[in-house]
Amino acid sequence: MKQVIIALGELERDALTEIVNIGVSRAASSLRKMVGHEVHLSVPSIEVVSQRRAARLIGERELDALVAVRQGFSGAFAGRALLIFPQANSLELVRAVTGDELSPAEVLDMEDEALAETGNVILNSCLATMANMLKRSLTMTIPEVLRGNGATLFEVEDGDGAEGLVLFLYIDFAVRQRDIRGYIAMLMDLPALATLRGLLDEFIARVVGDDDR
Amino acid sequence: MMAIRAAAGSSGTWDWDIPGERLYLDARFSELCGVDPEAGLAGVSTDVFFRAIHREDRARIRIAVAGIIGGAELFSKEFRVVTANGAVLWMHGRGQSEQDADEQPVRFTGLLVDVTDRKRTEERLRIAQSAGGVGTFEHSDGFATMAVSDEFCRVLGLHPAPALPVQTVNAVMIPGEAPLIPSYLPADGNSGLEAEFRILRADDGAERWIARRGEVVRDGAGYRLIGVIYDVTKSKNLEAQLRDLNDTLEARVEAEVVERHQAQESLRQAQKMEAVGHLTGGIAHDFNNLLMIIMGNIDTVRRRIDASHDPRLRRALDNAMKGAESAAALTQRLLVFSRQQPLDSRVIDVTRLLAGMSDLLTRSITEAISIQVSGTPDLWRVEADAHQLENAILNLAVNARDAMEGSGALTIAARNVTVDGSGLKALEPGEYVAISVTDTGSGMSAETIDKVFDPFFTTKDVGKGTGLGLSMVYGFAQQSLGGVDIVSAVGEGTTVTLYLPRAVGEHVEVAQSTGAAVPMGSESEAILVVEDNDDVRAYTVGVLRELGYRVIEAHDGATGLRLLEKQNCDIQLLLTDVVMPEMSGPALAEAARHLQPELKVLYNSGYTRDAIMRDGKLEAGVDLIAKPFTFASLAAKVRELLDR
Repeated sequence: MKQVIIALGELERDALTEIVNIGVSRAASSLRKMVGHEVHLSVPSIEVVSQRRAARLIGERELDALVAVRQGFSGAFAGRALLIFPQANSLELVRAVTGDELSPAEVLDMEDEALAETGNVILNSCLATMANMLKRSLTMTIPEVLRGNGATLFEVEDGDGAEGLVLFLYIDFAVRQRDIRGYIAMLMDLPALATLRGLLDEFIARVVGDDDR
Repeated sequence: MMAIRAAAGSSGTWDWDIPGERLYLDARFSELCGVDPEAGLAGVSTDVFFRAIHREDRARIRIAVAGIIGGAELFSKEFRVVTANGAVLWMHGRGQSEQDADEQPVRFTGLLVDVTDRKRTEERLRIAQSAGGVGTFEHSDGFATMAVSDEFCRVLGLHPAPALPVQTVNAVMIPGEAPLIPSYLPADGNSGLEAEFRILRADDGAERWIARRGEVVRDGAGYRLIGVIYDVTKSKNLEAQLRDLNDTLEARVEAEVVERHQAQESLRQAQKMEAVGHLTGGIAHDFNNLLMIIMGNIDTVRRRIDASHDPRLRRALDNAMKGAESAAALTQRLLVFSRQQPLDSRVIDVTRLLAGMSDLLTRSITEAISIQVSGTPDLWRVEADAHQLENAILNLAVNARDAMEGSGALTIAARNVTVDGSGLKALEPGEYVAISVTDTGSGMSAETIDKVFDPFFTTKDVGKGTGLGLSMVYGFAQQSLGGVDIVSAVGEGTTVTLYLPRAVGEHVEVAQSTGAAVPMGSESEAILVVEDNDDVRAYTVGVLRELGYRVIEAHDGATGLRLLEKQNCDIQLLLTDVVMPEMSGPALAEAARHLQPELKVLYNSGYTRDAIMRDGKLEAGVDLIAKPFTFASLAAKVRELLDR
């Protein structure tokens, strides 16, 4: 249980949380425009864990099959970002996004597309904000929709998942009075994480300044 | 400038004009920051705010504010504030930003609430939970998730999280158990959540017992389940152990009681027999002395009568003697029963003994009863009084014959037996020879079996039995350190088994006494007779003198010793009673032997308890003649001793 690797200090975690908070806020704003309705997002909480742990964490909290939108990113640091929903939630999201005008069959058809679209908005927003705040550029790949469980999504089965870390965020979406639960996870290897850490420290220094009384 | 009304209960409000870099504070907020309220209302720089924050929390809040500026919409942070007079308070700041058309944040407003008390309460709650191993939960009916505490997660082996899906929580239950969070409550209005569950802990798979306690709080149309869970595995295990112990306790107590009851029964029986033994022994002993006198004197007269006298005289004396002899035999049997009959134990081959008895048995059991006597080839030897053993077996055979009323089968069998302490309660564990006498007669009821060893108890008609037979067998068995067992049922025959301990040591032939002529003595052989009963002494002295011995008599040990010292010539034999006032027979013998080491000693048995009887057997080198003794038996014994 005490497997959490402290790769980020507390302040660094706070900084990262804030940055993602910004990203998520921007995403909510975009979604609002897409959906035409209020989209509220909760303040995320972040944990840095191993891939194995992340798989377990999500396994504990979600018993359904999971659906995820995955986008790779590279630049100052590289990795993969995932937006993960439990299966049932994802359909809710699709219905929310497509405005309840489609039949159940059409919804199923549309599912992947709608998910990819939504995922793109959110993940893009987060990553773009990160790049912006950390004053570096990041490029993103085209989003893809994945299905599976914690182990598959966090690439634990491959055996080579031992070295990477996961920045694991838990957020709540509230769209059209529907409670939709999701997770944002970013998989990075240690060097990437080290770079990120450095950038966060710079950010902190900028923000906090010489306030050292 | 905007005047923001503070809601009741909150501590202060702020309004931050981001582009204008001006922070407007209400009175309370100003107070907290150590700022003049008017200045606060007029607007201050943001540094003022940051300075009021506790140094350890400052960086964190700066970062959070940077987020707002960066475009984050929500701000919700707890931090400590140090007031002007140095007090540390916990504050929760909740705010939101407003953006212009270009999505740039232009305004950041919020509420600052003093949560010091709540923080303390939370801290207490957190500590209470972790110290007590108690986790809290709250679930609103209909929701898929529930609020949980860290400790709650830990108890179930789940990763700490503020909220969990109900499914995840219920999945920890062992299959078949009721869910921890039920999806509906029975409508009977039961508002308690008290229950226990078996779970498989999520992190290590350990099987644990969890207790749930709590309340159902009605909330309008729905309800909330609010409660705690804690691990009760240890006490459950103890409970189970206790229950097991309890269950077996009843059984064990019962077994104990039965055993004790049986032991008490055995003891009671033994004590009864002991008491009766005392009584009969006492009577028999006194009777013996009297018989000695009667028999002795009749004998004396009889020997003086020859053919010249009236034959009727002789006959009368014979009858008198027969009567006295019967009485003597009776007292003998009583003494055997009361275990005061000293045993002349030798190592005996039981098979040989039984073989030797076949004649005797056939003569005693003349009816149409088949007799079968059998022993096993490797039958162990026993150490017992051969004569008494024959008597006992004969007694049992006669009883068997009487039970069969004329026809049936009688079986006498001997076998080796190892007793392990169970079964016949009175028998010490060890090796025994079991001699059993079985008949196909009428059998005995349980009540009869209970009383059958009591002296004078008999199921036979008046005059047909003394009722002493089985008592004697019992007494003999006990005295020989063995036991008797009866197995019988009405209509099913009886088996009486006599247990005798296995002998260790050499086989010794049982000497057969032959009925020879009365051996005499001579004047050169001197015998010292010590006996406190005058009549008995007179008779004894008379007999010995008649036999030709020189006799010196004394009525107590002290006198006897003096006489011994004073003698001119040696005394060959000391004939002494055992139980005497002042000096006992053995004491006298020891003292006498000091004076004369070669002195032979013949004891007179009477009330022989404790004195020379060690386990009822003769001490090595100790010779004994039983009262009442006859002229012939005394003569033989004395002769035997002197000739040794």
